[in-house]
Amino acid sequence: MNDSKTGKIVAAGAVAGLVGLAATGFLSGWDRFWVNWIQWFLFVLTIGLGCLFLVALEHVVGAKWSVPLRRIPERLSGLTLLMAPVGLLALLSLPVLYPWMHPESLKDPVVGGKAVWLNGWFFAIRVVACIGLWILAYAVFVRGSIRQDNDKDPKFNVRARRFAPLFMVIFGITITIVAFDWISSLEPAWYSDVFGVYVFAGTFLAGLAATTLAVLYLKRCNRLPDIGPSHLYNLGGFMFAFIVFWSYIGFAQYMLIWYANLPEEVFWYKERLDGLWGPLLLGLAVVHFFVPFVILIPRTAKGEPKRLVWIAGLILAAHWLDLYWMIFPILGKGPLFGWPELSFALFFLCAGILWARRAMNRGADMPVGDPFLREGLEFRL
Amino acid sequence: MSKQPYSVLGLFDSPQQLLDAIPAVKTHARGRLEAYTPYPVHGMDEALGLRKSPVGGMVFVMGLIGALAALGFELWTAGIDYPTLTAGKPYFSWEAFIPILFESMVLFACFTSGLGMLLLLNRLPSFRDPMLRSKSMPRITRDKFALAVESQGRPLDVDALSALLRKAGAQEIEVVEQPEAPGPVSPHFLMRSALTIAVGCIAAGYLTYWGVKLFPVVAPISHMLDQPRLDPQRESNYFQDGFGMRLPVAGTVARGHMPFAVASQEEAARLANPLPRTEETLKRGKQAFSTYCSVCHGILGNGQTSLTAAYGAKPANLVSRQMQDYEDGKIYYVIAKGKNAMPPYAADLSEEERWSVVHYVRVLQRALNAKDTDISKETSK
Repeated sequence: MNDSKTGKIVAAGAVAGLVGLAATGFLSGWDRFWVNWIQWFLFVLTIGLGCLFLVALEHVVGAKWSVPLRRIPERLSGLTLLMAPVGLLALLSLPVLYPWMHPESLKDPVVGGKAVWLNGWFFAIRVVACIGLWILAYAVFVRGSIRQDNDKDPKFNVRARRFAPLFMVIFGITITIVAFDWISSLEPAWYSDVFGVYVFAGTFLAGLAATTLAVLYLKRCNRLPDIGPSHLYNLGGFMFAFIVFWSYIGFAQYMLIWYANLPEEVFWYKERLDGLWGPLLLGLAVVHFFVPFVILIPRTAKGEPKRLVWIAGLILAAHWLDLYWMIFPILGKGPLFGWPELSFALFFLCAGILWARRAMNRGADMPVGDPFLREGLEFRL
Repeated sequence: MSKQPYSVLGLFDSPQQLLDAIPAVKTHARGRLEAYTPYPVHGMDEALGLRKSPVGGMVFVMGLIGALAALGFELWTAGIDYPTLTAGKPYFSWEAFIPILFESMVLFACFTSGLGMLLLLNRLPSFRDPMLRSKSMPRITRDKFALAVESQGRPLDVDALSALLRKAGAQEIEVVEQPEAPGPVSPHFLMRSALTIAVGCIAAGYLTYWGVKLFPVVAPISHMLDQPRLDPQRESNYFQDGFGMRLPVAGTVARGHMPFAVASQEEAARLANPLPRTEETLKRGKQAFSTYCSVCHGILGNGQTSLTAAYGAKPANLVSRQMQDYEDGKIYYVIAKGKNAMPPYAADLSEEERWSVVHYVRVLQRALNAKDTDISKETSK
């Protein structure tokens, strides 16, 4: 009963957010509306894609320890599907936010040189193609896995393991397209080859954090009683490693651009360091790297549920801030956070939580049909 | 039996039997419990009650020291001891310091974890470990799991321990004897060691000497000789005019340098000496004059030196009437461009040095053509 009450409150929150979200466009201007839209689209999408990648990664390497946990990222990767219509709607933002949509910006030789890639039709084709490929991967990995719950057919493992390496390539290309198209091309003159890797690092980390949160939530509800500290330790260790990876890539990108000091690269950082954006980047380094890194150093910390909840929550917030720092400066103002941002947050968070609660009932809590489940449950460090 | 037993070994067939036996043996046996297994067994640390390994702490501290040492070294060398401007960046550029800081931290941490574990904590290499004399050791490295009760100096009750281990499930029992205490190192051994080291050093020295002498240009070392850089005054096919050295870009001047824009000596007459007539200027002028000018013009500037007699040349008398009437600019022009047999000194003397020399020449003229008024009244009285 309590459960449905919470559900109603969250639903009310989502409706309130929707009202504010609709008002944003008329009262605060459409650029602010679409910037928020892109921000939340990418935030939720990257969580889903990170989970999808985690599932595929486990199939590629044939990990056994993670089999009992695999259903959680499988369920969460459905966020990718949820974001498909949001992404298609986001195509409406192209004329508002993306300068290369306007012919006069193509007179700039740098932007003009990219016109082959950056044009409305090709952009839309890429968006649709990416969504199609993700749906395909979801059908293979997640649908197949849930079907296995009943028919216990081990052939699914063979199929998934064959498809997973191919999906790694698909994922590498599509996540780079997401990074270049949706974020980087907001400033079409900018160059950074490693940007796709940077976005991938944040994506995977967000997927891991969301998975950890969901695992700990289900464990508290006593739905995953057999998940031991060894499994949690691996999740914590994974997060620890990719916290460092994100920082490594982020710093490498910054340092090379700082060193070379080329005008067509450095302006991007200059815009994102001016005014209050500079302290914001410093804060991002603190919450995305220093705090979780230092807290996760001790061996005991990586498997302790109480700490993992906080760290995973912090990482998700930091991932949001990361996207915010990349996207919002294009408005040419300082960091904006008013009622439009709050209503977007309210809507997308509440809708996401409602959806995730439903998704947590898809299939059994563990892949009970997987022949490796027993081996996974016996995993100890 | 004259020898003391070092330990009593019980051999088991499976890791589970060994783990099950530990609690019973632990409560009844006096002495240190140690397990020997062909591979790491999960849960052994907890069963034996081993304390947490200090490697993690050691690695943390040494990593921190490595990071701080690298940072301090970089700050000292690049910012304080030998400040070098690189690409116009500030001396203290933390961005440039991070990669070396990171590598040094990893280096310190890796060595500490590897060598600290092997050498400090496990005391390897250890050739005198009594366990190496155990007859069961070859089987323990293959398929047997052994539990040992070690004496640590106190006498062991062999019969009671054997019974205890058998009761706990051990299939076989072995008593490992305490090896004889190693005596003092024999002088013969010391002599032989010293001789071996000496012969080794001499051989290595000779080999290196002749190696470098016979093969001075060995492949990896000679790579340094073959550099793609251009030496001064060398030709290069890279540029159309075939010169390796480049002229400055049209319309630019080097830092602290003004181009020589005067066409003739007459035109130079209008140039004014930009330097104030200070003691410092005159000192510099004297220094430059005695280095470059006095060889021909004489230390007094009167054109008489031993050199003129030997070569029959007639350098100008700088203190003559004619020279006194010369404008500053004309003298300056001659220094820069040369006159008659005198070569130009533009490459040897900077603009400031040339003007200082002009000042000094005026001093010489005045000194050799002093007037009565130059003598102060106090002196004349």
